[in-house]
Amino acid sequence: MPFTPKPHAALLIVGHGSTENPDSSTPYFEHADEIRNRGLFGEVHCCFWKEEPSMREAGYMIDAEEIYVVPDFISEGYFTQDVIPRELQLEGPTTRRAGKTWHYTLPVGVHSSMTGLLLQRAKEVAPDANPAETTLFIVGHGTGLNQNSTKAIRDQVEHIKASGAGYAEVLDAFMEEQPFIAEWDKLATTPNVIVVPFFIADGLHSYQDIPVLLGIETEPGEAASQREVFRHNPHHLRGKTLYYSSAIGTERHIADVILDQIADFDARLHETR
Amino acid sequence: MKLAERLSQAIAAGIRRIGQVSIRPDLAGAAYALCHIEDEAADPHSLEIHNGAAAARDISTWAEDGHYRFTKSELSLKRGWILRLSSADELKQALDLFYPAGVGLWMADKDDHLKIEHLRDKLNRQTGMYRFARNLGDAGAQKLVREVCGPSNCCVKKILWQIDSNTPLEDSEASRFDGVVGAFDRQAAIPLLCREACNHFVAEARKASKAENDAKR
Repeated sequence: MPFTPKPHAALLIVGHGSTENPDSSTPYFEHADEIRNRGLFGEVHCCFWKEEPSMREAGYMIDAEEIYVVPDFISEGYFTQDVIPRELQLEGPTTRRAGKTWHYTLPVGVHSSMTGLLLQRAKEVAPDANPAETTLFIVGHGTGLNQNSTKAIRDQVEHIKASGAGYAEVLDAFMEEQPFIAEWDKLATTPNVIVVPFFIADGLHSYQDIPVLLGIETEPGEAASQREVFRHNPHHLRGKTLYYSSAIGTERHIADVILDQIADFDARLHETR
Repeated sequence: MKLAERLSQAIAAGIRRIGQVSIRPDLAGAAYALCHIEDEAADPHSLEIHNGAAAARDISTWAEDGHYRFTKSELSLKRGWILRLSSADELKQALDLFYPAGVGLWMADKDDHLKIEHLRDKLNRQTGMYRFARNLGDAGAQKLVREVCGPSNCCVKKILWQIDSNTPLEDSEASRFDGVVGAFDRQAAIPLLCREACNHFVAEARKASKAENDAKR
């Protein structure tokens, strides 16, 4: 559905950022550039938890009186429910303060249009793999602290299964909780395996940690910008053919998911009026 | 008036610098051009030419020695480039990449609208793994300002906050610094302002607080 332009509003994309690795914030700036270039908002800005501008500084960059805040995060949880509302002083879906109106949408990762992006990424990374002989893994971090982070991935797995894409198996797996991605060869019964990390940015998890758990790398390599790891597909490993993708959030079309999340927010706002 | 228009007027009135960035109207055939302050006297043809605001992120991400500049007010911007910008909007966007929110913070301060948050309030609102930072004592906080902030620790922002509303920062190079780099006309520069302790400081406060706690045991 075409997005109705909002020339009088600002878009504020909120990301995590990193003090270790600039690739961590690259996708946020790319998503912002993509939307800015389409001329859909009067202003497009980014702000971060670990980088500058901080969320508390972000308001000082913005002229518009109406601001859409979109968490460029994978799941609902500590950051989207505690940290971002606290730092931006948001009181609910819409907050009016000092002459400005702040709209707070759901995070990009929980939008149903992510399913199409995951399927597209799987196809790109393994164009020759027959889906009927392939297991698709959607991989997250996993933590005992917050069930929401795994729920977003399990939901996507169900959406992909229902999509008719034809994969023999679609499985969720995690770095730090069961089912463990380190056991991918035991979890998958097919000869081909595709692994898509369900993270917004490429960083230590997708450059180092997951490749080690998969067995592509024997030990963590250098810290920053190890994009090489994605360029050696397929890997013939543990008796199977393995295709490994970069983080789904690096996909250019996340910009469309951001816009979808805003359109959904507006539709809900309209319903409640 | 939009921030970009006000910025444009400020430049017309003589503003020429922010941090380590020199602002040059009508140079190199662009509406605005930016370069490193130490390249102001260089022949523009000797500098690497970039176009458009987005290039500001590439220029400012890595220091000359290859380290990642996650704090943008770090005194380590690399030299040897010139960035051409076609409008005041592009200029504002580029400066927000070099010094995030720096222009807006300066204007809010001029308008007397800048909200300053003292360190205690900042630390007290931390949750999760940073909650422990709130236990840092005043003496430890004052020491941390000397060890983390100011030009000798590579940050060139003017600190506006105190420990709390009754406890100013002790005198030091960090607490005295006025947010303008080098010997330059203060009226022709946008000072970099620090309205609350950054998250790097909070992370260091957490470490210092844990060290204080361990020392008491």
